[in-house]
Amino acid sequence: MTHSPSSISRPLPVPPPLSARARLAKWWRGEATAPAKRVQFDRPLTPWVFLLPQLAVVVIFFYWPSVQAVTSSFYLEDPFGFSATFVGLDNYTDALSSGEYLSTATFTAGFALVVTALSLGLGLLLAVKADKVIRGASIYKTVLISVYAIAPPVAALIGMMLFDMHIGPFTQLAGLFGYDLKVGVNYWDTAFAMTLIAVWKQIPYNFIFFLSGLQSVPVSVREAALIDARTGWARFKDVILPLLAPTAFFLLIINITYALFDTFAIIDVIVKDKPANNPMTLVYKIYLDGFKGNDIGGSSAQSVILMVIVAALTVVQFRFLERRVHYG
Amino acid sequence: MFKSTTLAALALSFMAAPVLAQTDITWWHGMGGRNGEVINEISQKFNESQQACHLTPVSKGTYEEALASGIAAFRSGEQPNILQVFDAGAATIMAAKGATIAAEDLIKGQGERFDRKDFIDGVSHFYADSDGKFVGMPFNSSAPIMYFNTEAFEKAGVEPPKTWEEFETIAPKLKAAGYLPMTASQLTWMMVENFHSRNNQQFATNNNGYDAIKGTELTVNTPEQIMMFDKLKDWADKGWYGFYGAGWSDNLKPFEEGKVAMWIGSSGSFGGLQKSATAPFSAVFMPYWASLADHQMQSFIGGAALFAMAGKPDDQNKCTAQFFSFLTSPEIQVYWHENTGYVPVTTAAYELAKKQGYYEKNPVAEVGIKQLMLPGGEWTKGYRLGFYPQIRTIEEREFNKIFSGETTPKAAFETIETEGNALLARFAKTSS
Amino acid sequence: MMQKIKPLDHLILILGALFLIAPVVLAVMSSTHSAVWIHTNGIALLPGTDAYATYKKVLTARGGFTGDVTGARMILNSMIMGIGFAVGKIVLSMMAAYALVYFRFRLATLFFWMIFTTLLLPLEVRIMPSYQVMSELHLLNTYTGLIVPLLASATGTFYFRQFFKSVPDELLEAARIDGAGPVKFFFDILVPLSRTMMAAIFIIMFVYGWNQYLWPILMTTDEHFYTLMRGIKSILQVWVGSQIPDYNEAFALAVLAMIPPVFVVVVFQRMFIKGLTESDK
Repeated sequence: MTHSPSSISRPLPVPPPLSARARLAKWWRGEATAPAKRVQFDRPLTPWVFLLPQLAVVVIFFYWPSVQAVTSSFYLEDPFGFSATFVGLDNYTDALSSGEYLSTATFTAGFALVVTALSLGLGLLLAVKADKVIRGASIYKTVLISVYAIAPPVAALIGMMLFDMHIGPFTQLAGLFGYDLKVGVNYWDTAFAMTLIAVWKQIPYNFIFFLSGLQSVPVSVREAALIDARTGWARFKDVILPLLAPTAFFLLIINITYALFDTFAIIDVIVKDKPANNPMTLVYKIYLDGFKGNDIGGSSAQSVILMVIVAALTVVQFRFLERRVHYG
Repeated sequence: MFKSTTLAALALSFMAAPVLAQTDITWWHGMGGRNGEVINEISQKFNESQQACHLTPVSKGTYEEALASGIAAFRSGEQPNILQVFDAGAATIMAAKGATIAAEDLIKGQGERFDRKDFIDGVSHFYADSDGKFVGMPFNSSAPIMYFNTEAFEKAGVEPPKTWEEFETIAPKLKAAGYLPMTASQLTWMMVENFHSRNNQQFATNNNGYDAIKGTELTVNTPEQIMMFDKLKDWADKGWYGFYGAGWSDNLKPFEEGKVAMWIGSSGSFGGLQKSATAPFSAVFMPYWASLADHQMQSFIGGAALFAMAGKPDDQNKCTAQFFSFLTSPEIQVYWHENTGYVPVTTAAYELAKKQGYYEKNPVAEVGIKQLMLPGGEWTKGYRLGFYPQIRTIEEREFNKIFSGETTPKAAFETIETEGNALLARFAKTSS
Repeated sequence: MMQKIKPLDHLILILGALFLIAPVVLAVMSSTHSAVWIHTNGIALLPGTDAYATYKKVLTARGGFTGDVTGARMILNSMIMGIGFAVGKIVLSMMAAYALVYFRFRLATLFFWMIFTTLLLPLEVRIMPSYQVMSELHLLNTYTGLIVPLLASATGTFYFRQFFKSVPDELLEAARIDGAGPVKFFFDILVPLSRTMMAAIFIIMFVYGWNQYLWPILMTTDEHFYTLMRGIKSILQVWVGSQIPDYNEAFALAVLAMIPPVFVVVVFQRMFIKGLTESDK
């Protein structure tokens, strides 16, 4: 490979207001956002070689099917594909005008918030402690990580048995305190069980990434911090936390996505496949209507609504929250 | 890309295996555990019984997953020859004319023998069209029956009830004997769908949905249906009935523990109960209301049927027809009945099981069939309702609210009818 | 480094580990009881007496229609899914993240968002159209078809982007002074530097591929693609009330299914430690 130093160095300018055209032009040249690095390569072809495999997979296996999902959202379709009636925005208005849908949306937001906060917090706490100890460190790590490996249907089965209305240990425990825990009948009891299991399953994930983030903090930095440090908390807050910020930002987005999307299997098991009057998330509703109920148009419309909400959320996070993340 | 050479070689050796020029057909089903094994055994028996056809059963997860797989495959032209579809999904596949070949047409078209009268009455309408022609082939069928704890009834000195009126007279005695008189699993199946069938009540317009998709509406907001749930709520308040949510096993568990005197469940449940019940039990028909019907009627079947998918070459369809005939032969039906707990679908199979003395050893196994053989009425054939899985979800939601006191049966059935009819109208639009 | 370790730290770790591991212990204990016992008594806290019979059956029984679905076959398929997915993910996402972070090129922002919107929609939501795409590409019943569509998500890319962005700029400047081009820089500097990150993502992605259920069910009609997860689900899925599921076998399979991922964890722990020392050079 021939070498030609071709990187450019661009300090961050304070941008004057641009015309739409100029903005578009900058965007085309790839200068729209603040550059990821102060120093970058400027080669015409090499990035394409690196980017192409991922891009190809994404276009074929994500965009192609997703476009079909968006198209179906404007139709009422017989599932076997014999006839489809164009109904415009009916599927959207049907979903959004149902009180059921709105209360599901409210629950989803609260659920995502609680699950994200708890699993991130506990994952971070355990990772920081595991990073600190030397004696027995690998045992702790193995134990904490290996929980992640338990098969989801069995994890859910365990959760279901623990909360069994008649013989579940948690139900009996609550009974000792005079509380009649009825998961599957009482809305908030079910919500509690769902949250606990969802958090339990996600802690190891956060633990692994926080730990790997912590372990890549150079020893020299730690020692410097140790010399400076007044208290452990100050050391953590001023030195370690900023270094963890990129990982934390990654995990924040992943955890929100997890709480929104990947928890539907847990919900399905807790409500024993019959949601009745129990809380559920928006994705569970999509799964219920689309996969179980074969309402392709209606569930596609719900998917699109969800995508728009989450896309907005992600853009906001990338544009505003990431400014506070300091890289390297 | 990810195939190693050994794997490729392995695949080749499997492809080379059948020596004879056999016609291969496939059967996608949604059963696991022991039932899945019995399906494999029956397929094996079919393959051994003749040379021309080779049937491969494929487990596609749950009922819902099997139906979704079948739909996705059909849209891509990859459908199996036979697809198992469950009761609540029947309207979906039967509304899609052109997705399936009616079982009766297929069998007759291939010159095989077929007579509707061979089938048990309660089984023969659910998957048939409004003219009575079999579209799906009834396969695994069950009926809702009432199990009772014999010890409890001896202690209270009462007899199991035939009607709900009788239930009301004995419930206080059972309660006094220290038992919770009754629980029931899946209220949608028991107290809505089969309430209509056992008491011969209309469930939906357009002949319970059989005659047309357009304009079909639920008729559940009726004084009779509301009375059933007013009573249930009243019984729950009196401590005669225990409601434990929509989950099947939550309502069964206290019966297994011997705390409950009666449990309404499926005719197939006795196999599991024999292992798990702590008290001796027996079973009778599910009660009906003497005030609504002068005599009791048969129930709707639960379970699933087999559908022959369209778009397959003639030689494969011939094999499918042969398999359907094989499946309804008395020997295979009895084998299925005795190994899985589902009822046999033909009278001949029932007679054979009786002759073999199966019901002397397992009297409970006969209750479901007898209930399905009771006289039928105008509204006992079944129902054909689109998006019915979602409608069941609405019913379950409202039932939870009734028993937690958030709503009344009257308001609940108003909601169920309104939201259910909106879904039915949506469904009608999908199949214009 | 001489940090003080307080007993409190150990207490937190022990409590956390107990909270997380308790269900696993319950699964192990339950796998040693009979199915009926579990059905009647619920989850087990103490060992039972049926361990030998259950594990023997699970390991040796030949299931399925062809009789070729053994424990070994299921483990092999799950392995292929796990390793194939984890390796594929690491390769694709490291490359893409490298391009997005270290290069300035046309429409970079567009591609950034194109890739990152894939964080938003799990496969389950677009599973039916995905099946059609696979059928059109003739990838049904292949390992490629099982693995590649799952790669269409940006988790890995996002993760490596975060890491690359926090790599000090001085490294690149120094490399350039040494005369290294982008390819050399990537393989000689970034890849070794990413060891800890690769280990973490390997564990997560291996387990993700190992645990796949819905997609394989839809995609394959051939029993030779049967995975452990399908085995477990199929045991648990019996018609409610008609039979008692073989809970013991499901638990036993789940315990066996944990062994390879835990093995992966133990192996990659060494890399965690190495990553720690190397990034300190």
